[in-house]
Amino acid sequence: MKIELRNMRYVYPTGDEALKGIDLLIEGIEPVAIIGQNGAGKTTLVKHFNGILRPTSGEVLINGENIQNCSTAQWSKEVGYIFQNPDDQLFLESVRKEFEFGPLQIGMSKEEIEERMKWVATLVGLSDKLDIHPFDLTSTEKKFCSIGAIIMMNPNAMIFDEPTCGQDVDGNLRLRKIINELKERGKLCITISHDMKFVVDNFKRVIVMWKGKVLLDEKAENVFSQVETLKKSFVSPPPITKVAQGAGLRKTVFTTEAFIKVFEEQRMV
Amino acid sequence: MGKVVLEVKDFSFRYRQTKQKAIKNISFQVEEGSFFCIIGANGSGKSTLCNALVGLIPHYFVGKMSGEVFVNGMKVEDSTIADLSAKIGLVFQNPFNQLSYTAGTVAEELAYGLGNRGVSHEEMVKKVEYVAKLMRIDHVIHKNPLELSGGQIQRVALGSTFIMEPRVLVLDECTTQLDPLGSEEIFDIVKSLNQKGITVIMVDHEMERVARCADKIMVLDGGEIVAIDIPERIFETPDIVKHRIGVPDYVKICQSLREKGYTKREIEIAEEPTIELVKEALKG
Repeated sequence: MKIELRNMRYVYPTGDEALKGIDLLIEGIEPVAIIGQNGAGKTTLVKHFNGILRPTSGEVLINGENIQNCSTAQWSKEVGYIFQNPDDQLFLESVRKEFEFGPLQIGMSKEEIEERMKWVATLVGLSDKLDIHPFDLTSTEKKFCSIGAIIMMNPNAMIFDEPTCGQDVDGNLRLRKIINELKERGKLCITISHDMKFVVDNFKRVIVMWKGKVLLDEKAENVFSQVETLKKSFVSPPPITKVAQGAGLRKTVFTTEAFIKVFEEQRMV
Repeated sequence: MGKVVLEVKDFSFRYRQTKQKAIKNISFQVEEGSFFCIIGANGSGKSTLCNALVGLIPHYFVGKMSGEVFVNGMKVEDSTIADLSAKIGLVFQNPFNQLSYTAGTVAEELAYGLGNRGVSHEEMVKKVEYVAKLMRIDHVIHKNPLELSGGQIQRVALGSTFIMEPRVLVLDECTTQLDPLGSEEIFDIVKSLNQKGITVIMVDHEMERVARCADKIMVLDGGEIVAIDIPERIFETPDIVKHRIGVPDYVKICQSLREKGYTKREIEIAEEPTIELVKEALKG
């Protein structure tokens, strides 16, 4: 999987410039997190990855092909976008129908749909809710329903827009499992999140957006060690990282184990 | 205990379409002016309880209820939602559930509740201006609420509750659409309201914030109360994670340092004191 942006700009019909010249290369299957303040351009950016939005200037290339060459429906076979608000995506009368809809549109066989359904329903935790109306699901189940509906279509890349919002401990663990399992199957996951604990737990590469630009695009450890640059983008490291920085630990840590290890190294000296 | 502003007595509720009770015979009191947090996994009954506190149960949601809820001595079951709204205000988890959908502009949306209360036009304009500024939505006040971003709509929803000046504020995961900085801004406003004597009841998944804000924490699991205590005692109990809730990073650091013998101090539940504890332990 390869997503490439070259000096890409996007201007809203209102004249507001949402993206101001983005150069970006995402290649392979290593999960990527996109973070940044509300209004930084995160959602606008990812909506270009499957042609929901088209660049005002510059280029978006998916596996080398210009995004302008195909319709959004065609691109959605390659890149699936899971909406931030499940109510924007779900519209059928049962979870099963939501799961079947996309695959039927792209001509997937009945057998394949059946087979994928079993796996996906278990993965997103809705095996016993397939015949329930999506509106009778809890808000987090709805989110998992909209995730399942996109995984069903078997795209090579998936974009999660704020999957953690409203999730509890179990929900976050399930998301982690989904991201891992998709990676095992050779799929690329790109995730927008405000939850820094979730970001450092699951992603090695982190992109920081700020005012319509890519401010940082590095390994998570490097991103969260640049405290001053992060402040500019109003991003704050996870609590454990901040305590380590505040106490003068010399390495960027994300887990209690790593914290204690660095603490012990420094205490010995 | 000071004056009790909210009392729940042997309260149970089951939604009409479900077999299981969402809330199972719970009783607790909330002291006036306190910051009371409710935590628990999804489905533990937190939102149901919020709905019961403000009278949406039994006045709006249909189901089987028993027990009583009192707000300022007023029995919720026997009061109208309009009467209750002067005493207690709820900010919903999903701001789209809260909009009136009759207002053409943000200003009208904010003024909606005041209009129903018969506040004069002059007063209304003043209050709308004040709240819009407080919530940082004064620049979008003439826009249609449906044109706003998720974060802005959440600010409108909060503003439309704050403007009613209820003495008790119930917040049900009210910042899920906001980025961390936006959330902190909102909680700073909530904290300043609390310091002015407003009672705050807050449902939240962000344990660092809960630990920092709460005077008391109530833990729900499967519709039952498993603990009510001050934050330090809630989070120092190792069994607490069995109820599928997280523990603040600060507590994890302090506990690990204690276990390994690097400190003898009690756990801390906020960033600054934890940093001090770590610095002290580093010196050996």
